[in-house]
Amino acid sequence: MPRASRREFLRTLGVSAAVLPFVGNLPGLAFDNQTRRKQRLLIVFSPDGTVPWNFWPDEVGKDFKLKPITEPLEPFKDKLLFLKGLSNKVRGDGDGHMRGIGCMLTGIELFPGNIQGGSDTPAGWCSGLSIDQEIRNKLQADAATKTRFGSLEFGVMVPERADTWTRMVYAGPNKPITPIDNPYQMFNKLYGRKKDNAALASVLDDLNADLKKVAGAVSASDRKLLDDHAAFVREMEAELKADAAAKDVGHKVPELEPGVREENDQMPKLSKMQIELIVNSFLADFTRVATLQYTNSVGEPKMRWLGVNEGQHSLSHEPDSNKDAQEKLTKINKWYCEQIAYLAKRLADTPEPGGTGSLLDNTTIVWTNELGQGNSHTHNNIPWLLIGGGLGFKTGRSLKYKDVPHNRLLMSLAHAFDHGVKTFGNPKFCGDGPLTDLG
Amino acid sequence: MRRALTLLLFFPAAVCAAPPDGAKLYTDQCARCHGPAGEGVKKKYDKPLAGELAVPQLAEQIRKTMPESAPESLTKDEAAAVAAYIHEAFYSPIARERNRPARVDLTRLTVNQYRHAVADVVGSFRWGVNQWKDGGQGLKGEYFGDRGFRTRMLDRTDKLVAFDFGTELPFTPPEPKPKPADKKEEKKADAKKEDKPKDDKEAAKKAAEEAKKEAERKAREEAERNEYAVRWTGSVLAPVSGEYQFVVKSDQAVRLWVNDPAQAVINATVQSGSQKEYTAPVVLTGGRVYFLRLEFSKALQGVKDKKPKATPAFVRLEWKPPHGTTEPIPTRYLSPNQVPEQHLVTVPFPPDDKALGWERGTAVSKEWDAATTEAALEAAKYVVAKLDTLLGAVQPERDINAEAGNPGGLNLDRKRGPTPVTDRDKKARAFATQFVERAFRRPLTPEQKELYVTRQFAAVNGDTDAGLTRVVLLALKSPRFLFREVGNNGDGFDTAARLAFSLWDSTPDAELIAAAGKDQLKAPEQVRRQAERMLADPRAKAKLHGFLMHWLRLDQDRDLGKNPKRFPDFTPAAAADLRTSLDLFLDDVVWSKESDFRRLLRADEVYLNGRLAKLYGADLPADAPFTKVKLDAGRRAGVLTHPYLLTTFAYADQSSPIHRGVFVAKGILGTGLKPPQEAFTPLAPDLHPTLTTRERVSLQTKGANCQSCHAVINPLGFPLEGFDAIGKLRQQDNSKPVDTAGEYLTRSGETKKFAGAVDMAAFLADSPEVHAAFVEQLFHHLAQQPVRAYGPDAGNKLRDTFAKTGYNIRSLAAEVATVAALTGRSVK
Repeated sequence: MPRASRREFLRTLGVSAAVLPFVGNLPGLAFDNQTRRKQRLLIVFSPDGTVPWNFWPDEVGKDFKLKPITEPLEPFKDKLLFLKGLSNKVRGDGDGHMRGIGCMLTGIELFPGNIQGGSDTPAGWCSGLSIDQEIRNKLQADAATKTRFGSLEFGVMVPERADTWTRMVYAGPNKPITPIDNPYQMFNKLYGRKKDNAALASVLDDLNADLKKVAGAVSASDRKLLDDHAAFVREMEAELKADAAAKDVGHKVPELEPGVREENDQMPKLSKMQIELIVNSFLADFTRVATLQYTNSVGEPKMRWLGVNEGQHSLSHEPDSNKDAQEKLTKINKWYCEQIAYLAKRLADTPEPGGTGSLLDNTTIVWTNELGQGNSHTHNNIPWLLIGGGLGFKTGRSLKYKDVPHNRLLMSLAHAFDHGVKTFGNPKFCGDGPLTDLG
Repeated sequence: MRRALTLLLFFPAAVCAAPPDGAKLYTDQCARCHGPAGEGVKKKYDKPLAGELAVPQLAEQIRKTMPESAPESLTKDEAAAVAAYIHEAFYSPIARERNRPARVDLTRLTVNQYRHAVADVVGSFRWGVNQWKDGGQGLKGEYFGDRGFRTRMLDRTDKLVAFDFGTELPFTPPEPKPKPADKKEEKKADAKKEDKPKDDKEAAKKAAEEAKKEAERKAREEAERNEYAVRWTGSVLAPVSGEYQFVVKSDQAVRLWVNDPAQAVINATVQSGSQKEYTAPVVLTGGRVYFLRLEFSKALQGVKDKKPKATPAFVRLEWKPPHGTTEPIPTRYLSPNQVPEQHLVTVPFPPDDKALGWERGTAVSKEWDAATTEAALEAAKYVVAKLDTLLGAVQPERDINAEAGNPGGLNLDRKRGPTPVTDRDKKARAFATQFVERAFRRPLTPEQKELYVTRQFAAVNGDTDAGLTRVVLLALKSPRFLFREVGNNGDGFDTAARLAFSLWDSTPDAELIAAAGKDQLKAPEQVRRQAERMLADPRAKAKLHGFLMHWLRLDQDRDLGKNPKRFPDFTPAAAADLRTSLDLFLDDVVWSKESDFRRLLRADEVYLNGRLAKLYGADLPADAPFTKVKLDAGRRAGVLTHPYLLTTFAYADQSSPIHRGVFVAKGILGTGLKPPQEAFTPLAPDLHPTLTTRERVSLQTKGANCQSCHAVINPLGFPLEGFDAIGKLRQQDNSKPVDTAGEYLTRSGETKKFAGAVDMAAFLADSPEVHAAFVEQLFHHLAQQPVRAYGPDAGNKLRDTFAKTGYNIRSLAAEVATVAALTGRSVK
């Protein structure tokens, strides 16, 4: 193979160092799974409850004002949907944090087990699957909505511990899914094959050269084996080329800053890197369902970059009267909101490939938490905030419910994907069906 | 009368009607143009009759087109007979292979060789890889008096991990020691005494406080006693290659690591719901020793339990090996010695060709090529991720790139952590050169070094990991690695490689390479000395054991299910025990001092445990471990009467003299038998309620056409009729006394008559035919080349050496390896 074409080959593999800005639409890409509008769901978790008076708008309806925590979402105000008054009604084994995160997306009890919290009885894993996986299964079962991964589970600074406090996504009873909180590991999952192919392609010339030498050294009757081998190497070369040509039109592999360590103070960088990969996964249609988990329930990040030196969970236990602590908690929750605002902006700035509008028009971000507020460990008024047009809900509103089980919202998420589940999680909490006033 | 008539008409027609004779038809009607062996006849049809068609396709073609003068003159049966004959005699690829003059071919690594070789090339950069020290003792157990593995209470070696601790502690708790704090208090108290107590009231208050504290301390210690943890460490030897299911059963928090100490294969820290059993599949290579660690913590996890209760707890470490059932990992495969992790090739490969009876790498396929590519990528990632440990450098920082196995990272982690290994790039290049040398089993020429190392690093502009990735990919895709001694240099390095592949299925170790470098692998004695040293390695033991299983035709999965009504106690567990019993016997004979082949056929002892003893009528306690016992006083002889073999060569209800006879004829005596012309279903016993198995078999095979083979087969199977379908001794079959008489016509024309199994085994143990068959099969298994390629007399010479050493199996293996190592590939 001549040198020039080798270089071209490498270039089309998309592994050159050049970082090109994202060009939205990918011309020439044929999507098999695009007979109707693409819908995406991204669930974002941040821990330890919110500061209710700095989170919830005072008003109900279209005219509402954003409070300090959600201020960063001002540019997307018409795409917001506040859902106040939803409660996690699931009881049973496990302490408040465990049930908070474990039943948040599943709506069903934890199994009895051996994990003891600070109060209540010990518990194990959840006894049902989570709503994102329910939707994923539905999308994967249909060729029109099937994607390479089905769902991707992202994390930021999730501790190296598999227990009830650190898992929110379940593929089924007793089947927690570990989020990938290392952006490099996620990158490899998404783009590893491309790198592998590039590395392989880079050694083929030298391999062929040596194959020729070796073939010259064996007898005629033994040469057939080497000839066969050489033929397979040439076939591989052709396949690598075809692969590079077919799948690489217009799609850039994102570049991550190298060497970022998984440690507390790198959290802002890790967050940005994961968001970059999420946006690219949606752009490339690797998945239509994703979750992003910041730390874990009882999460204790120290947001020193905000001037907060205490851990979040410790602060969250402080009473309402501790003004200083509540101010810090407001800052912390605002930081999470900034991440979501950045994510929303990246999605809004990226046109929908092969479709109309932006990625945000076809994506709904669901931001939630395991608790309503940290110092009471309440499961009432869980902060549910939806952003974007993926599910076709009527946005730009602040809604208030009267202590409604959150299972009904989970059902609504499925129904928005045309998946008419009759119940989700514990049927006891699904009595009145999906929420009726979202669409 | 009608029924008898039906029988008369039916049976001769269905079972023993003489089909057309294909060989005769060919000679009469085809050989004129095609030659007596299908080689072709000049001016008639001068191309050899050779091709890829299957028998039915070939038959149809013959029927339609042949003979040329009168197509369609043959009947369907005649055409089929001709097709079957020429297919078997010279037409098919296998027949052609068989008829070809023997030569030492170029081959690629077999799948097993590939797995060993990659593991050993990477492992050569670590100390102590694959060491089987203190093998067979069990695992090291460290017992702690808390849930977090801090307060060490007891160290011991545990033969098995199969504990039901109940509510008891697994160790004796020590007497509570006075705490240092108490001493201080005492001192204070003493000092105060000297000062005279100021106030009696104060002293009483103090004493009350002391008593309260003491009570609290006792309560705390008491409580702590209901929490404990155990860590078992050591290594596990995989006896055969394949997928092992590791199973941990426990009602407490458990984690299991196999091979990789950084990544648990089972993490059940969380106990949830009713799940008490956790399984992880791991593909291991036979003859390799893997790191193993199991952690068990009897306590609630999460927030510390202030008052732990004395609840029951159990833990079992089991596995389901290939061909086996789930059982506690046996002691003989466990060692308390810790070994470093190995690189595991997890990529699945297509199986090797075994058409000639041994694994050969004489063909490549697209699937095989793709597997080598994936495996090379996998190895490159592993090497890059672990480079710092392979370089012997300490890297204390946690590097998330490396931890995530992100080396595919190529251009990602160009900037590594703040403290890079000094001279990392330089060391990496030195590593790369050695890596390629070890993969190629010889020093590199300057041109090879330039191509395989220097050029690769030069191309990536200082990106060490990218350079190393290229080197590993190139080396592991190179024909110099994938093919055997491809340069045919005819030097000591080729000898070393052949020796290592013969005995270990792997690359040479440092000692062999050093000997080759010093030109000390020239004389047969030098090579034999190395071979003898190499036999002690677990890889050699696994390879020899694998050979014996092949010799006994037990290397394929067969259905050992028996009729549960007739043999209610013959459970899968009993079947697995039988296999263990045979394993123990084979290893006992091979690794005993004499290593006497004849003992394999003559020994009157069988290894039994409690369960088997009950089943086969030996006197052992129900829970007895495997013990050598004399079973059925004088009626058993070695492998032929081993119940595992007899069970394997039998039906679900009945013994099978034909299967047993074919095994003795082909496997043990090495006679060539052709498969039957068509598939037969054995006669159903209930159609012949008065006949014994022997009588039924005789009836079914009495036709002249059947007898050409069954005259040999049946009398070699009948002596084993004294054992039923599970290999249990019997006096009667179908209420008639069993007839165990048999015979064999030797190649020297002598008819040997046997009264029964022991008699036949005694004959076989001393039969030169048996020795020759064993030698030849061992040669093929080790060298993976036809013995005839080493000279017309090579087999005979080896058999003579075998006899001279008192039929020592290990010496024979060393001799075979030596002969194969000293001969290079055929040049023509």
